[in-house]
Amino acid sequence: MTVETETPQVNCIHRRWDLPDSAVTPEAYYLRRREFLRVFGLGLAASAVLPLTSRGASTGFPDSLNPNYKLDGVKLTPEELVTSYNNFYEWGLAKDEPKNRANRGWKTVTWTIEVGGLCANPVRIEVNELIKTIGGIERRNYRHRCVEAWSMVIPWDGFPLAKLVDLAQQKPEARFVKFTSFFDPANCPGQRSNEFPWPYTEGLTIEEARNELAFIATGLYGKPLRNQNGAPIRLVVPWKYGFKSAKSLVKIEFVAEQPKTLWNEMAPNEYGFYANVNPNVDHPRWSQKSERIIGAGFFSGKQPTLMFNGYEKQVAHLYAGMDLRKNF
Amino acid sequence: MKLLVDIVGRKLFALAVIIGVGLWFLVVPEFTGTLGANPVEKLLHQSGEIAIWTLGAVLTLSPLRVLFPGSRIVNALNRHRRTIGVSACVYGLMHFGFHLLYEGDAQAIARSFSKPFIWVGLAGLSILVALALTSNNFSIRKLGGRNWKRFHRLAYLAAALLIYHQAIAGKGHWQIARWLLVALASLQIARITKTLLMKLRRASRTMSIFGAATSPP
Repeated sequence: MTVETETPQVNCIHRRWDLPDSAVTPEAYYLRRREFLRVFGLGLAASAVLPLTSRGASTGFPDSLNPNYKLDGVKLTPEELVTSYNNFYEWGLAKDEPKNRANRGWKTVTWTIEVGGLCANPVRIEVNELIKTIGGIERRNYRHRCVEAWSMVIPWDGFPLAKLVDLAQQKPEARFVKFTSFFDPANCPGQRSNEFPWPYTEGLTIEEARNELAFIATGLYGKPLRNQNGAPIRLVVPWKYGFKSAKSLVKIEFVAEQPKTLWNEMAPNEYGFYANVNPNVDHPRWSQKSERIIGAGFFSGKQPTLMFNGYEKQVAHLYAGMDLRKNF
Repeated sequence: MKLLVDIVGRKLFALAVIIGVGLWFLVVPEFTGTLGANPVEKLLHQSGEIAIWTLGAVLTLSPLRVLFPGSRIVNALNRHRRTIGVSACVYGLMHFGFHLLYEGDAQAIARSFSKPFIWVGLAGLSILVALALTSNNFSIRKLGGRNWKRFHRLAYLAAALLIYHQAIAGKGHWQIARWLLVALASLQIARITKTLLMKLRRASRTMSIFGAATSPP
């Protein structure tokens, strides 16, 4: 029963954002609309640099679904919801705030990321250059389970984190990978509050980072990541709660000690370092046994949460013999 | 100013504001499509916030009356204590209803009742229900004014519990609860200080009149 297709399947009721295909501007025109205006207004001189500067990461790279990560029989969450319901505290505590606030002139195009720490081949590189160096992008449909007990299914575009680890050639003493998000309090209202130890940091063990599922996303639904989704480059670790997948990365470092991570530092009894999706270990304030499916309607839409978010086969061996209650 | 006091003092005004807030945050979004991707969660959070702010509002009234006894606007607002207090309870019950809806099924609801976070909220809400049920003239007569007043001081305990519930609801932040706590606590401190000062002044006046008679022989 393969129901999966390239387009999201919104069941039954008609939704406000449903449009007939005829009403949709062809995407190529849509993506080029600003280019057209600017070229028109600024003349030939500007047009020479535009293709490089006005497009998000991953624009123009060929992209196709990796058949190993198709998720048969699972419905994709509508794009409208994936891009409007975001926990991105740098832009506000409410989930509808990032969409508004992160798009008031915050620039994520021409973004440099640093890969360093305990590795033989450290680099500082523009994101599109990095994609080129890695060898392009692919699409993967991944489940996304938030620690707040809701879930989505998202078609990400990007590349396996393992490729980046290989590129950097970590040294033997490196046991963890640390991820650091941007820090820009001048543009970013949430970061002007001292309630959180900004910038956002996260971490994985080397083995986790090398796992086939660990992914670096530069787009979703075949388009560059929107700012509210962590443009232009973010981590995606689908077997862990969403907060592990740090957004808008500026630095990836190989380190010897387990790095400090933001939520673990804020509330160590609620958010562990591992944060593997686990229906048997409750959050202190709510059960993790089930999850609300975003976009499945008003009254229905809950499903049981799966061990490792359904990725037990790929990742369970990483935690063999580990007490997952203690190392939650 | 007289007109303002007149309007603010009307029952219709109080009801319009209280019901208006509910309509605006809980009903209008259904029609404007702004409930977002997780509608029940949004209603759950909005109803909880309305409930706690309404409770906060009613608890400012008596300290304000002590601090500004001459203010006609404060006196006009004080007429709505019962209406506002009962509405805090009604919004609290709606919040609880949305919690049940959010959990969805009996098993999930039962699981949610194993969390101290939920107990604290339920304890606060139970107090509000008890206070709302006795917010009528019959109960005041039955209990006697003094006992009734003492009983209704439980509102402060409810506020403490619910502010705590609100505070731990955020993931490590407690912005709403913090502002409520600061506002309510400073009003209470000001009220207590003023009452004490007035008692002291009265006592010292009494002392100066009867000073000679009360001194030991």
